[in-house]
Amino acid sequence: MAYLNPPLNQHFAAEALPAAVRTVLGKPLRRAAALSQLALVGCLASLPESRRHLPTALLWQSTSGPRAETLALLEEVCTGSGEPMPFDFLAIQPAIAAAQIQPFLPGLQSASYFPLDTVGQGQWSLLLNMALNWLDEGRYAQVLCAHLDLTPNTAEAHWLALSHEPLENSPIKLQLSTIKPQITLADTPDFPQHLTDWLQQSDSSPRNLQSPAAYRLALEFTRI
Amino acid sequence: MTRPVYIAGSGLLCARGNSPEAVAASLWAGGYEAGKRRVGEREFPYFPLPSTEPDWLKRAEQGVRHVRQQLGPLPADTPLFIASSSLQIGHFEQQGAPFKLPAANAEFSRQIARWMRLDGPCASFSSACISGFSAIEAARSLIASGQIDEAIIVGIELANNVTLAGFAAMELLSRSVCRPFDARRDGLVLGEAVAAIHLSATPAAWRIAGLRTGIDAYSTTGPDPDGGPIANVAVDCLNEANCLPGDIKLIKVQAAGSPGTDLAEANALRQVFGQNLPPLLSFKPALGHTLGASGIAELATLLACLEADQIPATAGYGEADPKIGPIFLVDRASQEVSLGCNNCHIKRAMLNLIGFGGGLACMIIERD
Repeated sequence: MAYLNPPLNQHFAAEALPAAVRTVLGKPLRRAAALSQLALVGCLASLPESRRHLPTALLWQSTSGPRAETLALLEEVCTGSGEPMPFDFLAIQPAIAAAQIQPFLPGLQSASYFPLDTVGQGQWSLLLNMALNWLDEGRYAQVLCAHLDLTPNTAEAHWLALSHEPLENSPIKLQLSTIKPQITLADTPDFPQHLTDWLQQSDSSPRNLQSPAAYRLALEFTRI
Repeated sequence: MTRPVYIAGSGLLCARGNSPEAVAASLWAGGYEAGKRRVGEREFPYFPLPSTEPDWLKRAEQGVRHVRQQLGPLPADTPLFIASSSLQIGHFEQQGAPFKLPAANAEFSRQIARWMRLDGPCASFSSACISGFSAIEAARSLIASGQIDEAIIVGIELANNVTLAGFAAMELLSRSVCRPFDARRDGLVLGEAVAAIHLSATPAAWRIAGLRTGIDAYSTTGPDPDGGPIANVAVDCLNEANCLPGDIKLIKVQAAGSPGTDLAEANALRQVFGQNLPPLLSFKPALGHTLGASGIAELATLLACLEADQIPATAGYGEADPKIGPIFLVDRASQEVSLGCNNCHIKRAMLNLIGFGGGLACMIIERD
């Protein structure tokens, strides 16, 4: 079983992202790709300062990935001189986001990046199952799960922060349960937004996450 | 619920051969010759697949289908976990400008699933060089908790100019050979691989006793030279496996011939194992560094070597680096003594990965 912080849903105009970073850090995140900046802003918004030193894992998915950076690098390598500028190459490596975030989130111990294969489908089922298992094992105090996407004009992020201990403001409890005929929420990239909507509804009956990755037990969300 | 997770099978296609057993035999016979690959005005040693197919996508299909065949019959709904650092970027290069990237950046994984004839859950992992162990860790977590019973983990890394040029631009590539831990080491040699591991809840000869991932934030391009973060992950892995450093009889090291990373890894291993460092083995002088596929390809190779009770020598090491000090890489002449047994029947081995961008991973496998 795990407890969730209030879901976090962020939307930025693409040009506003560096300013959002400066707001939380008081300085720019030097030589960081847009996905790294978006991940940093979300991590710090998800965890108060008092929890940033606790053992933490980060699991994040993206449909777009570093699309603009990849296109730019393909142009540079295939139609340019052959060898790109080093930071252009680093910009297409989402894995380095964790190393850029850790100085500001010292408890961050592990990170995995999940590129998505289908538009409109998320891997929240996998991310949340892994988070539940790790919290049950006591491996981490908290696990951050996120979906991050970029378009030429926008940056969008959806976050769920899970912990083993109930927090003062945890509105949702998550557990595995046998699959029951109850209301389901689809495993879409913006799934946390649907949890937010549910929290605002009068119908507080539990919700299951309905995923094409149908594992043996369902993920059941219960309002506290 | 938590239950052990076993390694039920493997498949492999890389420069050294077309099955785990063929690769192990080639290594035992001392094979380590590399080819060449040019990017811009420079040429680098490179370990390509044994394929003459010029079309990138057909080459990928042949490789995936070949590895799928090695895994034997599988239920069509077996969950699939795919690890790659570059996915299908080589295909886009071959198609040329204007580049038509799909809206979902891992759309290639759906194609791999079709080639594998698997229509169950599919997830993709791209955490640079530790992608393979990240994928294994996800599959293991679901099997251990009883959510699934079987999983196929595929590592795939095929030739592309973006990766080669990127590493070249950062001056991370050797122009000669991969020399792990050697004083003359001057960089990585890249390679191609398609590899697969079948994980299962059903008991098999080997099980995953421990697997941990970590982060080294010293720099985005290289680890802390002290090796502290790498050592921490190895200690966590030993603790999870409930064993002591002395229980590890062989370490498959990252050791890709990188001046900084090899030093950090050596320092880390000394912190964990002290003066009782077990024999070390690096596959990268013979397979190349296959990046996102390396975890799966090297695990498949190591299992085949262990099953054959033949631990191959590591090519490329000849001159000790004073900064690293003496280090004991397995060689055939001395392995009877070094491995402490007549037939090298090793019960427990550690595998270490150190990723570009700060990713770390450590796994311990154990004979059941």
